[in-house]
Amino acid sequence: MPQSVNVRAIVIQGLSVLILCAIIEILTGNVMEGMQERITVTLPGLILVIPPLLDLRGNVNGALASRLGTALHTGIVEPKLSMTDELKINVVSSLILSLAASATIGVIASLIGLLFGMSIINFVALIIISVAAGFISGIILTALTVVISIFAYIRGWDPDNITAPLMATIGDLITMISIFIVVLFV
Amino acid sequence: MTMTAYSMKRILGESYPVLILCAILSLSAGLILHSQLESIKTLPLILVMVPPINGINNNVCSILGSRLTSALHIGTIEPKFGKQAILRKNIQATWIMSLGVFIFTSVIFFALSLISGINLLKSLTIMIAFFLASMAAIGVTMFCTIWLAFTSFSKGLDPDNVVIPIVTSIGDIAGVTCLIIAMKIIGV
Repeated sequence: MPQSVNVRAIVIQGLSVLILCAIIEILTGNVMEGMQERITVTLPGLILVIPPLLDLRGNVNGALASRLGTALHTGIVEPKLSMTDELKINVVSSLILSLAASATIGVIASLIGLLFGMSIINFVALIIISVAAGFISGIILTALTVVISIFAYIRGWDPDNITAPLMATIGDLITMISIFIVVLFV
Repeated sequence: MTMTAYSMKRILGESYPVLILCAILSLSAGLILHSQLESIKTLPLILVMVPPINGINNNVCSILGSRLTSALHIGTIEPKFGKQAILRKNIQATWIMSLGVFIFTSVIFFALSLISGINLLKSLTIMIAFFLASMAAIGVTMFCTIWLAFTSFSKGLDPDNVVIPIVTSIGDIAGVTCLIIAMKIIGV
């Protein structure tokens, strides 16, 4: 790819996607601010799990998008929406990873929370929030990743410069909304 | 259908340990935020700033990371710091992009501060603090990205599976730390 590096081209292509991402991230921030009362008063442990849960989504779906990108380019997965074995393995693995890692995040965060003297109600709530939010956002985003990867491939978008940043950003927003919704019920 | 190209066991086995390492790194970003709950109560706008500074920082450095790993595979960049035209141009492009996107974001935060009833001078200070924090975070994360890309490549690890996840976790810590330090300096 970067045989000769054109700084102008990278900047123009990258910047337009990044500005869009910035707007979505600020929206995500507003959703987070909407939970201010719970974050600072009622559920002080909540803020522990927010960065890792957002990060996890980006990592799992980023890896899925990157595997799908390669699979589409090499022809292992065809650019249409039908459940082949290849696609199924990728999708199911991502969902299992989401669930297992979200649960682990909840448990580790709770242990850290216990060290910081949080109450037992918080301990259970934190695990429930992590798993439920991880699962809801996992399903939505895995589906979205498959659709966007195939669409991006057909449109000829560069996975490195366009699809990956876009997925990570949409992932942040959907995960934050999922956390928000779950928190309303806990 | 012949043999499938992917093995679920392999995907899970390779990814889970890295994901947990990253989760622990990102948890420390959460811990830093948790230690600043009092400042957040005074200026809830800090919460709005967390996803943008982390998210954009991670996006910018992920783009750099994947460009670098491609270049390392092709051989246009050698895995060492020092004078290399293509490495320098990549770094330059990354700085220009960061500058552009964070100036834009800082201006939006200036507007948001004004709308939420903070006075003009304070809003300006908040804007400048956010901008400086984002530049500092980008600098740190960019350096880590280059170092990780080189190290993983030299050690024969697949940079795609290692560099990007770890970079985004380091980006979370750098983003949150720089944001908190900047807010402390302006006295929130």
